Amino acid sequence: MGDDRTRILDLLAAGKITTEEAARLLDALDARSGEGAGTAGAEGTGADEAAEADAVGGAEADAQAKSGFHKFFPGAGVKTSQKTGGSGTPKFMYVKVVSVKGDNVNVKIPVAVMRAGLKLTSLIPAQAQDQINRSMAEHGMSFDLNNFKPDDLEELIDALREMEIDVDSANGDKVHVYTE
Amino acid sequence: MRVPPWLVSMRLVEGDRTKFRFWFPLFLLWPLLLVFVMLTFIATLLADLFSLISGHKPGYTRFVLGILGVVTQTRGTEVFVQDKSNHNRTVAFTLR
Repeated sequence: MGDDRTRILDLLAAGKITTEEAARLLDALDARSGEGAGTAGAEGTGADEAAEADAVGGAEADAQAKSGFHKFFPGAGVKTSQKTGGSGTPKFMYVKVVSVKGDNVNVKIPVAVMRAGLKLTSLIPAQAQDQINRSMAEHGMSFDLNNFKPDDLEELIDALREMEIDVDSANGDKVHVYTE
Repeated sequence: MRVPPWLVSMRLVEGDRTKFRFWFPLFLLWPLLLVFVMLTFIATLLADLFSLISGHKPGYTRFVLGILGVVTQTRGTEVFVQDKSNHNRTVAFTLR
């Protein structure tokens, strides 16, 4: 387990992964060690690992301080994942864009908004739904709003937990969409 | 009971200097919003009544309730934009 942590930290130090990715990997490692080792595993988390975790935390804090994100949103990012845990229902959807020029965009949207928004489509009055469907079909989107069922929506929201989109453009811009 | 957003804040920073800070307690607008919602409900109930009479399925009031549901869920939205190519400008928007 210590090797894995060291490898993650090495990748972070080499700049091959971002601090957020490192934190997520470390979280996944923690979750795995929690499941596998149980109470006995607690003895394995010695001073070195705590120091490593501090180092990662410090590195991340530095990186976040540089980007200014945490200055405005204390408690976002890694802390949120610690609060919700890896297996719970996602609470927020994050959209992060980092351009080569150093521009940053971070958007945090409550998943509940998406749930309520999707449910809203099934509440659209039938007359309006037909008009919307017709209008969408005229614009090349053959998409029937009547097909949205509350059960499907729950399934869709549940599936978001596993969703992770990474886009690396040719010019180096990166887009990362995930839920926590 | 879900509470609608009660605070909106926006901050514009250029370099290390805060250029603009906006902080508004949205709960001050709640009474006004309540009046507006009540009027909307009267209209949608009438629309539903006419729909029922004309043989259509009523759904306008439920739709308005759905919109209110979406609004109440927007708490926690955060947007952060850092534009380094433009005076290192940073815009942060939060809805609480």
